[in-house]
Amino acid sequence: MVNKMEFENNVLVSDQLPDPSIINFESLPPRYRTSVILSTVASFLMFTVVMSVYRLQPFFPVPPLLEEFYLAILLILFGLTCLVCCVQFITLPYKRYCLREHDLHFASGLVFRKIVSQPILRIQHVELKRGPIERLFNLATLQVFSAGGASHTFEIPGLNKETADRIRYFLLTHKDTLQNG
Amino acid sequence: MDKVPQEGEIQELDWQRLAPIAILYFAASNVKKLISNLIYLIPAFAISYSSIKDSPITWLVILAVVLGFFVVNAALEYLFFTFKLSSNNIEIRSGIIAKKYLNLPFSRIQNVTLEQPLYYRLHDLVCVILDTAGSSQQEAKIVALPHAFAKQLKQQVLAEKNSQSSNITGTRHNDNNESHLNLEQDQEQEVLLNQRSLSDLIIHGFTNNRVWIIIGFLAPLYDDIARYISSHLDSLGVEYQRYFDTQAQALWQLGLAFFAIVAGIFLLVTLVSIIGSIVIFYDFTLSKINGRYVRRSGLFTKQETTMRLSRIQVIALKQDWLDVLLKRVNLELKQSNSGTQAENQAQNSSKILVPSIRPDQALALLEDAFAINALRKVHFNAISRRFITRQCLVWLMPLTAIAATVAFNHFSLNALWLVVAVSLLLFIAVCCCWKRWGYAKDKDYIYIRKGIFGVDYYCFPIYKVQQTQYVQSYFMRRNGLANMHFVLASGSLSVPFVAQTTANIWLNETLSHVSEQRRSWM
Repeated sequence: MVNKMEFENNVLVSDQLPDPSIINFESLPPRYRTSVILSTVASFLMFTVVMSVYRLQPFFPVPPLLEEFYLAILLILFGLTCLVCCVQFITLPYKRYCLREHDLHFASGLVFRKIVSQPILRIQHVELKRGPIERLFNLATLQVFSAGGASHTFEIPGLNKETADRIRYFLLTHKDTLQNG
Repeated sequence: MDKVPQEGEIQELDWQRLAPIAILYFAASNVKKLISNLIYLIPAFAISYSSIKDSPITWLVILAVVLGFFVVNAALEYLFFTFKLSSNNIEIRSGIIAKKYLNLPFSRIQNVTLEQPLYYRLHDLVCVILDTAGSSQQEAKIVALPHAFAKQLKQQVLAEKNSQSSNITGTRHNDNNESHLNLEQDQEQEVLLNQRSLSDLIIHGFTNNRVWIIIGFLAPLYDDIARYISSHLDSLGVEYQRYFDTQAQALWQLGLAFFAIVAGIFLLVTLVSIIGSIVIFYDFTLSKINGRYVRRSGLFTKQETTMRLSRIQVIALKQDWLDVLLKRVNLELKQSNSGTQAENQAQNSSKILVPSIRPDQALALLEDAFAINALRKVHFNAISRRFITRQCLVWLMPLTAIAATVAFNHFSLNALWLVVAVSLLLFIAVCCCWKRWGYAKDKDYIYIRKGIFGVDYYCFPIYKVQQTQYVQSYFMRRNGLANMHFVLASGSLSVPFVAQTTANIWLNETLSHVSEQRRSWM
């Protein structure tokens, strides 16, 4: 047992790459980052508008809490949005994907690194999801469902629409999916 | 195909009704539903208790109306429930106002459960429940069928399954089990694998009682219960307060009185748990026919669940600390549960639970289901000691610090010692947990061991993996560690704090094993 751990340490020193076997991770298009940050900003603006309209309208009595802390809430929200945007700006490039002959991989995270791998043989069905902002940027989210359940849906966001279509076609015509149904 | 002879007998051309006793079943299930909803209304009833006392007749009328409604409703449900069988699917029409039409091909049915409530036994009727593996909560329930007919239906459904799956995956015949299955298909020989006696069930009730949880749940009500009991004791003329009077009694007597109460509660809950275990698992048998597992049990409601062997995803051998002491194991055969959410632990059909068997029996069952399995002699690898460090840093030390500060500032020094003692115990638990974690792998299977004071063993064939995940935090990366997750159709299993090279190798081997073997997970 102890021997084994030492052995593993040795190997680590010799190659420091965290994922030696999965080599060529592809990056997502750079505009994916723009689109995500834009949607964060948009949701902030939407909230601000709703709150401001409620604050300034003359029809209903405004709760005293909102009246008193209106500016403070706005400032805090603004700060939070900036923070989230910064985090997204830094971490989004770490979302990468990789296709192999028999499986799909999706890596994400800077502090918490996560690599999800999906054998194509186990795919039950494939979906392309495109929200309004994704459509604006000509992006698409590829969702791959297996029998692992809804909480383990394999997802690659922010793909080029064309790339996503191609991957989807590749998956659907793959001999493994055809066999498994 | 080979199922033709059965087809002629079973095939029914027209829509047909259930046996009339189904009305009783519908009424009972409605009342059950109502009661489970009424639990939330109990406080309201408690408040209006005095008004019930004042005008009993109006309330009796209301009760009668409610009951009448149930009877009428059940009768209507019976009238509107029709079903039609054809050679390879079943159609069901039901619903009084909201109509429901269900068309269920036999090939999609995951397992067949036959249920026989007490009042069905007179006419030898059963309730057939057909579970699907689909993502929705589709479940067909044919409420009252003659036993013989239900058996035929079951056989036909399962025969359909057999021919289907051997058609789809022709590559699987190299497997021992599978060829065995095909040879025996017509013989229908039932082999008894396991049987539970009454004493086993008593042990099961004892080791699996959730007495501590129940005591915890009752905590907010302690005051009320105590007041209620004391008022009763007063009216009986028992001077209970004498026993708890610190002035009049010596400390040991006080302690004895408390001990008696705790022991009393413990005994009561354990008794309830034992009774529950007997009601559910009475006359438990697990047998095997044609590569299918059949589980039968039940004191009042007899249940028979049939599950195809190939559907089993994971086998778990679970031991609580009491089980460890008594050398008993709860064996769980888990299959896909993406559709059905666990509602009732024991009757949940997405797994078969074999209660409180001896370890050698458990291993024998495991080896029966998963051939060439090496759990007996496998050597488990330990996870990294940094697991302990991480648990301490993330929650144990911060919590201790907070609790210690509060204790020191607001209470006495004694409270501080208590905090220290509790965190020491928790630390020991964390160490035990680290010690229990273990993982191993051979050509076909992955084995995981975990637990704190008890031990759980999980074993699954590698080819059944649906997805893998590799997770590591910044500090884990710096120390060359990673978590492995194996997602199966029955849920996800993970091993934390494994050397990252090992994790990489294992996950890659798993992925290539899945793609190479090309075996169906169902």
